Amino acid sequence: MGRRIAVVILALSALMPLVLLGLWSVGDHWFFPTLIPPAFTTDSWRATLTGRLGAAALISGVVALATAVLGCAFAMPIGRAMARLSGWRRHMASALAFLPVAAPPIALGLGLQYAFVTLGVSGTIVGVIAAHVVSATSFLAIYFAGVFTALDPRIEDEARCLGARPLDVWTRITIPIVRRQIGDALALGFLVSWAQVPLTLVIGGGIVRTLPLEVYDYLRAGETRYAATGALLLTVPPMLALLAARRERVAPL
Amino acid sequence: MEPALLVQGLAVPFGSGPGLREVTFDVAAGERFVVLGASGAGKTSLLRALAGLSPVTDGTIAVRGPAIYLHQTPVLFPHLTVYENVAFPLRIRGRPQAEIDSRVRAALASVRMGGFAPRMPRTLSGGQAHRVALARAVVARPALLLLDEPLASLDPTLREDMRRTILGLQADWDGAMVIVTHDLDEMSALADRVAVLLDRRIAQIASPAELLSRPASLAVARFLGHLNEMPVPGDAVAVFPPTAVRPQVDGFRARVSGLRVRVRGTTAVLTLDGAEIEMSVDPLQPPEIGDELTVGLDPRGVLKFQNVDTPSVPMSSTRIVS
Repeated sequence: MGRRIAVVILALSALMPLVLLGLWSVGDHWFFPTLIPPAFTTDSWRATLTGRLGAAALISGVVALATAVLGCAFAMPIGRAMARLSGWRRHMASALAFLPVAAPPIALGLGLQYAFVTLGVSGTIVGVIAAHVVSATSFLAIYFAGVFTALDPRIEDEARCLGARPLDVWTRITIPIVRRQIGDALALGFLVSWAQVPLTLVIGGGIVRTLPLEVYDYLRAGETRYAATGALLLTVPPMLALLAARRERVAPL
Repeated sequence: MEPALLVQGLAVPFGSGPGLREVTFDVAAGERFVVLGASGAGKTSLLRALAGLSPVTDGTIAVRGPAIYLHQTPVLFPHLTVYENVAFPLRIRGRPQAEIDSRVRAALASVRMGGFAPRMPRTLSGGQAHRVALARAVVARPALLLLDEPLASLDPTLREDMRRTILGLQADWDGAMVIVTHDLDEMSALADRVAVLLDRRIAQIASPAELLSRPASLAVARFLGHLNEMPVPGDAVAVFPPTAVRPQVDGFRARVSGLRVRVRGTTAVLTLDGAEIEMSVDPLQPPEIGDELTVGLDPRGVLKFQNVDTPSVPMSSTRIVS
């Protein structure tokens, strides 16, 4: 009985905010203390197809996808090299890789901003992607270091010994063996970029409008309906990732 | 014929010491060449150097074609079926599918794993994984196969099975094998010729039978387990196996002070003029401890060495090139 109550409370605490967001996203002229919106409208949802919210979601998606792919592409070789180190070298490499994660995003953003202004990519989507990739490469490299530490190094040695060139080793041995972990890393890179605000703000300079930025602006402007709609859109990729993760079979390397 | 492998004046560093030096030998196509040495003698370093996996500091290695090094424990690709594991060396060489199929099936058949093609490596026993690794090693017909103690980690039944598999490999592949081991049984089971690695050099190269009956030096004789040593006049040492000690009516008087039971045979420990020697005895009817025996030596089993460093057996009977 007690357990059932706990489950109900947990479900309510997880679902209530979403239900409220849902109501907010369609409620018209809805003010405290009214419990149910007096009128409904779908204008904010229509905006996801044609208006600012839709454009922002598209930009966020492009940035997050590029970040996930590029971040993994950079982080995998770095993580594999880190996994082959030991002792103080491993420690130093880990600390170095962790630095962009440990540093406050604003600080990292300001540092990158200086470099990106010189490169002329500040305030562009390319600049935002590059900044997100720096941060993603950092934590994904640490993630991949763990993955490759668990991978028997003799497997790659064996492939080389049988005549495989380095590219063959990557494409036929290493990547297929860790493909599930690569999927996880892509999801992780996507989600962190998808929710990223400070870096986008500093590097994008308010010109690159991603979804979380639009939600912020709508909230500040008191446009609750649009903010709630944007917030609901923001929860879609994490939910999909959770569903996918639930279905995955847990298999050792 | 040109040898499959020619090693001349090779120096291989290993551990913290000076490393192997002046390693010179050749291996013919189709030959199984065993490098025999104690643990820590540098056998694995030599093998890895031949495979190009470890550095050498001097000398030359000439291999007629690619060499493949096989780990002591099999390392199969966990994400590929048995078939795809064996096909791997052919796939990376871009061979056509028809050729891959026929060669993979032939290789699997030669190690008696024909029915296992669709299986995943994690479903195989240790012995089966060994056989698949062997098939994968020879499928691309390397000039040279390097094996690191291939029987060492196996139980007695699997050892015999693996020995047959290794001998069977050369049925349709004429490559050479270099096998390192510390184990005399493994050596005699697999070798066409054997090199003894002692004190960081090759001490002798001979056929197994020649090596066991005519070790080139006292050190080699000791390594081969010629248990008995007795000083003889002229600053020399007589070395003989327990089988050379026989009961003899007019022989030396000796007293049985112990019994030793080994796989290779049971021996009685005899005390003779204060020295201890071992004599082969019938394991089912051994003498009693304290028995007095009169024994003699079969002269055919006795080797004489001037001292530790000078071999009395002429080196010309071996194929050492120096």
